[in-house]
Amino acid sequence: MPQGGFSGPLEREDDYCWRIPRGYKRGMRVDGRIFASEGLIECIRNDQSPEQVANVAFLPGIQGASLAMPDIHWGYGFCIGGVCATDPEQGGVISPGGVGYDINCGVRLVRSNLFFSEVKPHLSALVDELFRQVPAGVGRGGKYRFHRRELRRLMGEGPQFLRERGLVTEADLDHTEARGCLSAAEPDNVSERALERGADQCGTLGSGNHFLEVQVVDAVFDEEAACAMGLEPEMVCVMIHSGSRGLGYQVCDDALRLLRRVPEKYGIELPDRQLVCAPVESPEGRHYLGAMAAAANYAWCNRQLLMVQVREAFAAIFGRSWQELQMTLVYDVAHNIAKPEQHTVGDRQRRLWIHRKGATRAFPPHHPDVPARYRHVGQPVLIPGDMGRASWVLKGAPESMERSFGSACHGAGRLLSRTAAARLAEGRRIDQELASRGVVARARSWRGLAEEQPAAYKDVDLVVEVVHQANLARKVARLRPVGVVKG
Amino acid sequence: MFEIFEHTADQGLRVRAPSVPELFQDAARGLSSLLAPNLDQVRLLQERTISLDSNDREYLLLDWLQELLYAFETERLVFADFQVVLLDSSLRATCRGEQFDAERHGAGTEVKAITYHGLTIRRQCDGWLAELIVDI
Repeated sequence: MPQGGFSGPLEREDDYCWRIPRGYKRGMRVDGRIFASEGLIECIRNDQSPEQVANVAFLPGIQGASLAMPDIHWGYGFCIGGVCATDPEQGGVISPGGVGYDINCGVRLVRSNLFFSEVKPHLSALVDELFRQVPAGVGRGGKYRFHRRELRRLMGEGPQFLRERGLVTEADLDHTEARGCLSAAEPDNVSERALERGADQCGTLGSGNHFLEVQVVDAVFDEEAACAMGLEPEMVCVMIHSGSRGLGYQVCDDALRLLRRVPEKYGIELPDRQLVCAPVESPEGRHYLGAMAAAANYAWCNRQLLMVQVREAFAAIFGRSWQELQMTLVYDVAHNIAKPEQHTVGDRQRRLWIHRKGATRAFPPHHPDVPARYRHVGQPVLIPGDMGRASWVLKGAPESMERSFGSACHGAGRLLSRTAAARLAEGRRIDQELASRGVVARARSWRGLAEEQPAAYKDVDLVVEVVHQANLARKVARLRPVGVVKG
Repeated sequence: MFEIFEHTADQGLRVRAPSVPELFQDAARGLSSLLAPNLDQVRLLQERTISLDSNDREYLLLDWLQELLYAFETERLVFADFQVVLLDSSLRATCRGEQFDAERHGAGTEVKAITYHGLTIRRQCDGWLAELIVDI
């Protein structure tokens, strides 16, 4: 397989945007466009991710350009950090690879009325309690079990299904993207194998880059938006990063298998098998969409149940209920998903399928899909960084619809491969290094921490600066980590 | 023989073997080593047979590894010993191992899936080579 850097054309469009012209490869239907600074683009050239941006431009019905955010890095098929809009009226396709294995992997942020000075003396106990309460790591099931029939309802309804068990509030739903429910869900399209893998994993973190972090509001850049989100300097928050667990991975895998011969059937030529796709309006396309939506709803339930366990851990340590601690959900965003949305192309309103593979929705102020509480400021956009430096809260910018189909980055983006990161960590104790920076970290495995060490990632501040300057999303607050739980 | 190679977000698995059945066996050991780093600590207490069919050998390799991943996720079974027989488009394998125990086997990485990106099987002058990328 191709390795090494990208030697194709990257033409500068403005200070924060680079173009791969459509003529670069025969078969590209639109340009590629990467949002990055001069410094970041040098780093992006070092791997094959721009080639993947060009490959996505082959997809039938793609509109505008094949887009990539500044946290772009080499993925499989699609790059990580990619956005692709397709129009079903023009033969537009849906590609399971454009969503990824971890369907509706995403992030949620919970705030509290605790300030760091009150939490600091209990920080170790708190992180230990979170580590005990929240199942994480390889081969660990959770405490919530769902029978087949319940699992089907959960996938059909999303977190509102948890209401009868008292595990979700109306405010939680209001502050979850799409209220945690894609109505196109067809739980019957989800295979027995996927159900089997998902049966005891709802409410578990997983491993890899998934995490749970106790964070402190480090700086506020936009007081009005921060106020709407209930964020103040030195306030303690929790960020949760996980997705649809084994259920979603299996749904993606089933779809890739189902679609193996489909491009031939519809005469679609693709440069990479992982880009396999089907027209949105085809039996195969519709089947995947129904299953994908069901897995997305499962993922929202997973993050909801993770949050419930986080609230329980805080209540146990601080001796007050989560309601007294005002641990409300700021927002929950998906960053691996495909959804139908209204966008303007040329001068026409169109219903497009937006694939976000490692990209976050960033809807502007006054968009009807932004919850009432945030409508005047824009949708909260949650950007996890690395466990040593920072994470960010942004808000969707007015220009985002036009520039990026209402999208922004989803993280810092990896700089080092897992192998390279583990090699760099040899003979070191990452947990002790983090402790010296004031971060209490607990992980199931040394390797988990080694692969995810801060040096494995780009500097999230630089990535966020591009998103801010390119007017995709604007800075609201910077959060610094003080406690980390990893698989 | 297998080795892990670098891929930014995920992990690559490169396998070399004198024959295709051995290629499949070593690829399976490579996958198991990601889940259970102390593979030599896995006792051969349980046995499973797996039968698969595919006209495409690369897809057959992918399906084979996905089967093992499925057994790991749903039954917590990790295998260390494999006997693979290939006949035309079909695979029949006996896998031996035991229940995963993070204490003894080491806490590995959760493997989400085996991807199609860069999936290749090639004949070389001294045997066979397979490359694939797993999603972590």
